[in-house]
Amino acid sequence: MYLTDKFPKLKALTKAVAMAVVVGAATQMPSAIADETSCSPFTPLVKGQEDFVYVWTLGVKGLGDESDKLVTVDANPASKTYGKVINKLSVGGRGEAHHMGFTDDRKFMWAGALDSNKIFIFDVATDPSKPKLVKTLNNFVAKSGLVGPHTFYAIPGRMIVAALSNAKDHGGQTGMAIYTNAGEYVSTTMMPTTNGGDGFGYDAAINPNKNAMLTTAFTGWNNYMMDLGKLIKDKDAMKQFGNTTVMWDYKTMKPTKIFNTPGAALEARWSYAPGDNWAVTTTALTSEIYVYKQDDHGEWQQHKVGTIGDPAKIPLPVDISLVSSGKGLWINTFMDGTARYWDMTDPLHPSEVYTKKIGEQVNMVSPSYDGKRVYFTTSLLSNWDMKGKSDDQFLKAYNWDGKDLKLAFEIDFYKEKLGRAHHMKFQARDLKTLQPLQASTANKLNFASNP
Amino acid sequence: MSGVTKYAIGAAILLSVAIATVLGITKDIHPPDVLGLPKVPVPDDNPITNAKVELGRKLFMDRRLSHNNTISCAMCHVPEQAFTSNELAMAVGIEGRTNKRNAPTILNAVFYNRFFHDGREHSLENQVIGPIVAFNEMGNPSVGYVIDKIKNTRDYDGMFEKAFGTPVNLDHINKAIAAYERTLVSGNSKFDRYQYGNDKEAMNASEINGFKIFMGKGRCVSCHTVEAKVAIFTDQGFHNTGIGYTRNNTVYHREPTMPITLAPGITVQTPSDHFDHASERPPNDVGRFEVTENPKDRWAYKTPSLRNIALTAPYMHDGSLLTLESVVDFYNKGGEDNPLKDPLLKPLKLTAQEKVDLVAFMKALTGDNVSKLEKEARDAYFVTPVEMPAASVKEN
Repeated sequence: MYLTDKFPKLKALTKAVAMAVVVGAATQMPSAIADETSCSPFTPLVKGQEDFVYVWTLGVKGLGDESDKLVTVDANPASKTYGKVINKLSVGGRGEAHHMGFTDDRKFMWAGALDSNKIFIFDVATDPSKPKLVKTLNNFVAKSGLVGPHTFYAIPGRMIVAALSNAKDHGGQTGMAIYTNAGEYVSTTMMPTTNGGDGFGYDAAINPNKNAMLTTAFTGWNNYMMDLGKLIKDKDAMKQFGNTTVMWDYKTMKPTKIFNTPGAALEARWSYAPGDNWAVTTTALTSEIYVYKQDDHGEWQQHKVGTIGDPAKIPLPVDISLVSSGKGLWINTFMDGTARYWDMTDPLHPSEVYTKKIGEQVNMVSPSYDGKRVYFTTSLLSNWDMKGKSDDQFLKAYNWDGKDLKLAFEIDFYKEKLGRAHHMKFQARDLKTLQPLQASTANKLNFASNP
Repeated sequence: MSGVTKYAIGAAILLSVAIATVLGITKDIHPPDVLGLPKVPVPDDNPITNAKVELGRKLFMDRRLSHNNTISCAMCHVPEQAFTSNELAMAVGIEGRTNKRNAPTILNAVFYNRFFHDGREHSLENQVIGPIVAFNEMGNPSVGYVIDKIKNTRDYDGMFEKAFGTPVNLDHINKAIAAYERTLVSGNSKFDRYQYGNDKEAMNASEINGFKIFMGKGRCVSCHTVEAKVAIFTDQGFHNTGIGYTRNNTVYHREPTMPITLAPGITVQTPSDHFDHASERPPNDVGRFEVTENPKDRWAYKTPSLRNIALTAPYMHDGSLLTLESVVDFYNKGGEDNPLKDPLLKPLKLTAQEKVDLVAFMKALTGDNVSKLEKEARDAYFVTPVEMPAASVKEN
């Protein structure tokens, strides 16, 4: 049963919000868009040299203050503190820090904790070198009924928070909550459970040009918090992974097509290169690459276009990042600590052209907008990470010349007593240098304005 | 807090207790007789009242009862999953910490005289606090912390006073949750109507034949007791079936590869050591021995009731068997041999049809009120405000 079925007032509110989204989106429809790693198309971008890399870091029992923290790293080679940790902001408590996302003006960054369900809002504009925690949302479960706030995705004036689980049983039935930029809860949309939907959720990514939103499906709290070795042996638990992806009408937040995508599709990425209108995801368990493209009739179709490594060995493809041209895709495989670069020139026939072992384990990958710098971190989930000597925890920055990754700097997050290095976001020292997705667009309203 | 405020709060509590008494909230409830079940045992020092049940249900459903506000009793004993977890072999505790045993259903738990798979507690009241302070379950640092937390959580104001006449303490937490659990009684199944209700149409031919096998060739009744007027389907004893022994010892003899189902219809053979570096060392489990330290009790576990068994998969103390069919197959071969295996377990030589009938019989043991009990629990959850868990706790 949807929450809205249980609470008629919530249903009415949801309708009102859906209408507001329709109106808001209709007046802000961009004509073409681009990408800076995984940012929302409504967020202005760092298109030049990034000054800072924020690393959302999991606290570790027995290490430092044991709390999750936002770590700021100086990433500008011209700086005296290049490659160093210049700030760390503990949020006080260990809640399974996971992903982050900017608001549509990039002045604030939301960061979530998959276990405590807290959402932290950082001011990253007043002094980008020293983010300030300005608000902690402690009502995510109470308001939405959801657990595991995962993706923070900006839409005009609001944030979509895509979740992984629910407060009833910690299973995989879940949905997406919408908040205002100020942190006021607006509504919840559950993942579809009819017409082939399995109710699981994970990531959300929007293509405003096509009024399309792609969502993916992972697993619930029971599984993402469980020790990985125990999970693999639990046959019932292994049934509790998502096997669908969903294309939505973004304006109305209604599903338009549900795809059978076996094996837990994770990150959803659109190619925002001019003329492109396709999206890509990879499946964690079955190690496949899927591309979503409209056919001649305008209907979205799913194409299985590649296989990552040897699926029988379960390499666990985790984070992916599509470069801004749409011509290349970074894919990290966690179990062998390897970064893989796929040529996506023909998205329906991609090929792996480069691999490099980054460490014993690797999870997140974030290329700069120009693709020349690529950053990697290690932590997947606190209880899925390697144990003992294999538990590398680092940020590594590389220069990429199109042929090889060359190490620029690295920071050992255990040696620095920081914790498990997870999600990364870039920021510029001067926010006036941020650029909308398509600088040449005639109507600046089409995109998030420069601050 | 000012003296005036204290006086006002005290007066309000007294008034609410008085109103509750008038309304009958604190009046003793006598659990109704349920076809097929014994009378619900109610200790003299913990009579059941509506106020206690309401409080106990709220505590049972409240995620704030864990150290970091994420785990309630109901997150492992999920109401909609027959008060167990159908999605996990073994429970997952606070911060994902490993539990080495399956979360059993608490439906009809009131009829046990030993609690937990190893029987380490002997009353409903006593078993309550264990998981609340266990490091790998709800993770609270101490009993005192739990009491302070409830004391400082506003939506519990007056509830303990209404139920017990005094503020929250450990005894009352235990008694409130135990009182609620005493209401989770489920009988009047098809079997009960057939066996004890004189309704010979209540079970079909396959179910009736399954019952005969259960009582005879299948030898199930040796441990899953059926009496003349009632049946709780447990002898309250502990038995080594070999499941525990095998789990503790096969880890050293594993095959080079293991099958892993990645998605419906997609199974791969993966090297067995592939996830070793990402795995904690599995905890050992010696069963009842961990309580008694009697070597004869190694790998012996409590006989669970079979009531509502169709709803409570996966099965065995470690959730290792996914279906009733696999359970029947396990016992049909006489369990897993080991030096301490219970001599009651012997190969049964059941035919395919007999196995089908036996499963059909077990599916006839589902009580008629499970959905009602599930709904009552869930309604309590949504009534309970769950905002601001951390802020509600005052630091000392």
